[in-house]
Amino acid sequence: MDKSYISAKGVNVFYGDKQALFDIDLNIGAKKVTALIGPSGCGKSTFLRSINRMNDLIPICRFDGSLQIGGQELYDPEVDVVALRAQVGMVFQKPNPFPKSIFENVAYGLKIHGLASSKQEMQDRVEWSLKSAGLWGEVADRLDEPGNSLSGGQQQRLCIARTIAVQPKVILMDEPCSALDPIATAVVEDLIDSLRKDYTIVIVTHSMQQAARISQRTAFFHLGKLIEVGNTKDVFTTPREEQTQNYITGRIG
Amino acid sequence: MENAHIVGRFDRDLNNIKARILEMGDLVISQIKDATGALQNTDTAKVDRLVATDRQINGMNKDIHTRAERLIALRQPMALDLRQALSPINIAAELERIGDHAKSTAKRSYKLADAPKDQETLQIVRQMSAMVQAMLTDILVAYNNSDIELAAKVRALDLEVDKLNKAAFAAALRGIFEDPQMAEIFVHLILLARNFERVGDHVVNIARHVHQIVTGEDLKASDQRNCPKPAGRLS
Repeated sequence: MDKSYISAKGVNVFYGDKQALFDIDLNIGAKKVTALIGPSGCGKSTFLRSINRMNDLIPICRFDGSLQIGGQELYDPEVDVVALRAQVGMVFQKPNPFPKSIFENVAYGLKIHGLASSKQEMQDRVEWSLKSAGLWGEVADRLDEPGNSLSGGQQQRLCIARTIAVQPKVILMDEPCSALDPIATAVVEDLIDSLRKDYTIVIVTHSMQQAARISQRTAFFHLGKLIEVGNTKDVFTTPREEQTQNYITGRIG
Repeated sequence: MENAHIVGRFDRDLNNIKARILEMGDLVISQIKDATGALQNTDTAKVDRLVATDRQINGMNKDIHTRAERLIALRQPMALDLRQALSPINIAAELERIGDHAKSTAKRSYKLADAPKDQETLQIVRQMSAMVQAMLTDILVAYNNSDIELAAKVRALDLEVDKLNKAAFAAALRGIFEDPQMAEIFVHLILLARNFERVGDHVVNIARHVHQIVTGEDLKASDQRNCPKPAGRLS
């Protein structure tokens, strides 16, 4: 069993009267890619958004249970949610660069968290982030151009650069390639693979092939319950549960 | 019986490939039967038909390979589906090799035209043929029904085929000592027995594939891990 970095125990999440997650126990290892899969409405995105308390933004959402990162209880009332989100970055389904320049997009998080003490340090960290996101070579001479002037795939890598600029411990990705063409998807998948040496990555995806390609662990959710979690190579070749097999093979369960 | 796919065409394509494997298997069994019959009464026309049918079997192997390849490319199957899509490629290849052994047996019948038909080694060879035909029949049933218990029984029967092969070898040696003039015929009989022993091995490989389709476990890999083959030893 891997040493877990993110640890969920007895997690229940409700939207008003409707329960979205039921008693989830899930350990997520450090510096690995963990894929959350399952049909729409199964609770995988709800679980993902619980990890950086994005669900707090939904007034009727209620969390119950224990969710820890590196031993720290995330839902402790004393937790600074803004600081938490610097530690737990998020990349969304649709690339969402700010209506600012490429440089400003990456520098934004550094500024609001006060992570660069000089102009030079700011430039260095922006360059480092763009290089880490595999985008530097394509934008080095156009940093002043608007972020949304980039292609979809480049915008998504810009969002990843913006996320890693503040050097989070965890990166959450909610279907990060669903709006991208196959080439841009391949570039982002390759990037995810290179980022896992430094970050713990949790990704929600509807593409079974993508989950199989890029993750080391896979968790299958169904109707708000965690049905199965295991090494990706096992889940996609010899799943333990019939429900998992039915889902990944596209059968009527 | 596993659940149906949401995409019905996927099930139809998988079933179609399975039906072709079963058809190929039936044809291979009849080839072995006819080739063994030719050992009793050498018949040029029959041998020619067997050789022509072997070409048909080779074509079926290629057809199954193409269909399975297309299915994998189109559906990108996973887990059980992947094993069900991949295994026909391997099983068809094993059947194709068995077909080759049947052809080779038929061709060798010319060399045995003058051999006494009640000769002990030839009787053992016929016994081996009957046994591998029965094993092949059972393994096709096991494949069709995903029956791993039946597949295990078929695997176990191969030991009997191996024993018969050794008995055929010993009988042929005795025959050579008793009548050195017949040495060439006995060598052909030894090679025939070896043919059927190889057929048994191919059937065992099919049985392993059936096991792997159902369980995901690669028996060949686990057998090799548990019992590494001793180097430099002839059986």
